[in-house]
Amino acid sequence: MFQQVDFSALELPAPARKLQHEVREFLRAEIAAQAFQPHLGHTEFNAGFTRRVAARGWIGMTWPKRYGGQERSYLERFVVTEEMLAVAAPCAAHWFGDRQTGPSLLRYGTEEQKQRFLPAIARGEYSFALGMSEPNSGSDLASVKTRAERVPNGWRVTGQKVWTSWAHKAHAFFVLCRTAPAAGDRHEGLSQLIVELDAPGVTIRPIRFLDGRHTFNEVFLDNVFVPDAGVVGAIGQGWKQVTSELALERSGPERYMTTFPLFTELMRRLGSAPDARALEMAGKLTARLWSLRRMSLAIAMTLDPGPDGADGAPKATVDLATEAALVKDMGTFFEREIIDAARLLFEVEPTPDATDTFERYLAETIVCSPVSTIRGGTTQVLRSVIARKLLGPLK
Amino acid sequence: MNDTSEVRAMLIESATRLFADHVDARLLDAAKRDSWSPELWRIVEAAQLPLVSIAEEAGGAGGSLSDLAAVLLIAGRYAAPIPLAETAIAGWMLASCRLPVESGPLAFGPVHGENVTARQHGAQWSLSGSMRRVPWARIAQRLVVLVSGPAGALVACVDPQQCKVSPGRNLALEPRDDVVLDGVIVAGHLVAPADPGVCHAALRLRGALARSLLMAGALERALELAVRYSTERTQFGRKIGQFQAIQQELARFAGEVAAAVAAALSAAGALERGEDPLLAVASAKIRTAQAAHEGALIAHQVHGAIGVTDEYALHHSTLRLWAWREEFGNETAWAAELGRALAAAGADRLWPLLTKD
Repeated sequence: MFQQVDFSALELPAPARKLQHEVREFLRAEIAAQAFQPHLGHTEFNAGFTRRVAARGWIGMTWPKRYGGQERSYLERFVVTEEMLAVAAPCAAHWFGDRQTGPSLLRYGTEEQKQRFLPAIARGEYSFALGMSEPNSGSDLASVKTRAERVPNGWRVTGQKVWTSWAHKAHAFFVLCRTAPAAGDRHEGLSQLIVELDAPGVTIRPIRFLDGRHTFNEVFLDNVFVPDAGVVGAIGQGWKQVTSELALERSGPERYMTTFPLFTELMRRLGSAPDARALEMAGKLTARLWSLRRMSLAIAMTLDPGPDGADGAPKATVDLATEAALVKDMGTFFEREIIDAARLLFEVEPTPDATDTFERYLAETIVCSPVSTIRGGTTQVLRSVIARKLLGPLK
Repeated sequence: MNDTSEVRAMLIESATRLFADHVDARLLDAAKRDSWSPELWRIVEAAQLPLVSIAEEAGGAGGSLSDLAAVLLIAGRYAAPIPLAETAIAGWMLASCRLPVESGPLAFGPVHGENVTARQHGAQWSLSGSMRRVPWARIAQRLVVLVSGPAGALVACVDPQQCKVSPGRNLALEPRDDVVLDGVIVAGHLVAPADPGVCHAALRLRGALARSLLMAGALERALELAVRYSTERTQFGRKIGQFQAIQQELARFAGEVAAAVAAALSAAGALERGEDPLLAVASAKIRTAQAAHEGALIAHQVHGAIGVTDEYALHHSTLRLWAWREEFGNETAWAAELGRALAAAGADRLWPLLTKD
């Protein structure tokens, strides 16, 4: 593992360091102005905040300038992401566009799609959601049943997507669907289509999370027309396109930082002279976080030395997919360790009505604690992938 | 790739080949009887590995701390039964204080913060005090000791023959000896004022960093053995690596190993750049010790009864992991120290401290 990575030279270069201070200042001002109230667990959808982030050039920042990007490095994007997570900034309105659909369009989209969507995402004016999971397709994504049929000038899509975060606020979503029957290799015959969420035939219904909150949806597609201009990449290449997204994004700070603000509040509550047990817990959490961040940073620095190429093709020649899976696996468990430390150090009966920030974060993270080891590849699937890499083919 | 990393890649390649060619079951078994391997030491010293990070003008190879880190990780992988880390640290103490760097093997102390005092007698010094569990003292050519003199800390290069050395061992049967200095006479030219960077805390930090690197290497080897065994051992008519239960454990193990390697090598880089040494080294020692705990037990579980015999190679790695995780401060000790620093800084400094790369 990590054979191609030089851990001795993991240092943020000066431009990234400067950016870190700019983002920190921006967020300090936002918090001081009470422009948002931080919440843990669910990423908040805040269109105003997203537009202000966009105005600073921090959405789609690795993209070419002619598509609204800033041609900055992935490492700089890493810095922006971790600063946002450190204070639980509400990024849902640009999260998927910036992180997944934008990069996919840059890589696989047509010139027309790039010009239509990328600058709008970068301005913070266009939100995407992701239509991957279905009632009978979770970890086994290739089993999706949503299908598209060829019609003149486009496709007619029918099916059901679930766990679609923020579909009720987004403008469009990427739908992974079957455009050819699953004969032989079932990874073939899948395609990605852009479905606008106000199109005729689209019905969005809330799926309430276990705390009653509405961030997830089920989206019904009933014979929805998607013009040819809405096909992402090549028909039949959807699997390849979707899985290349997963490898790129698996090891980012969002895999180990989502409960970090609770750690900060835990330290605040401990004060300056905690007892031995609390000191030990704080030290151990810090050691784990420091180590995770070194791994995540190493992957970011090794994978991407600069901005996207004009065609959006990744420049990385190193395969760190297994390392990324390890970071996700350990990172998601680390997030829970913070929750456990917080609850075991203090006698707090968690309540959704908490007003104290520490207690509120504690309640919010506890109810969301099952999610991180499920989304983006369950622990068990990740570990199978890692083991296959370790063991090679076994007969 | 820049020049530094090219040179390091060559160093890693040659050091790996050197250990792979010479460390075998026979050598490791002999070391269990003789408490070390003089044979391996001669080869490693000839290759200039112990003093790889000491400046050339002081008699070293002129490499960096990260070069040494890479070598220690490899030495840990091969369970090299020689005082490589100790010689490197003792050599650094001597070179920092402008004392001649002696040829090794060297040991250093105290490693538990004990006070050894020095009194001047004309051109000579007289040293008194005792030091617990000094690694490799009994086989060292010289013992480099941090002592308190009348006007501040001194570093002295001592002949262990002049000391009372009571042999002790760690779980892997490596020498950890109690040393008593009862008015040991040392010539004036072998004693110098300690450089401000050479203090008890620094010895503990460097010792902990070295143990982290050795543990990361030992974990790599234990994982390699467990993976190989899983592809060879058949039970219930299948290779055990085909069972998901085994796969899940191996994947978890791989995560622990990756975290240990990342933490240990990163800490060396951080120390080299002059970043917050406590954050880096405490994190590395805590994380590698945790990985040692998880990893050693997974390695044994995967091996079943085969792994617990002294004929099978796994114990060379796991015994060392269980020994090294306690040396120079275990998880509790470092976590408390790190926790104190964080609490003193305050909650709002937590994130800035963590990201001050």
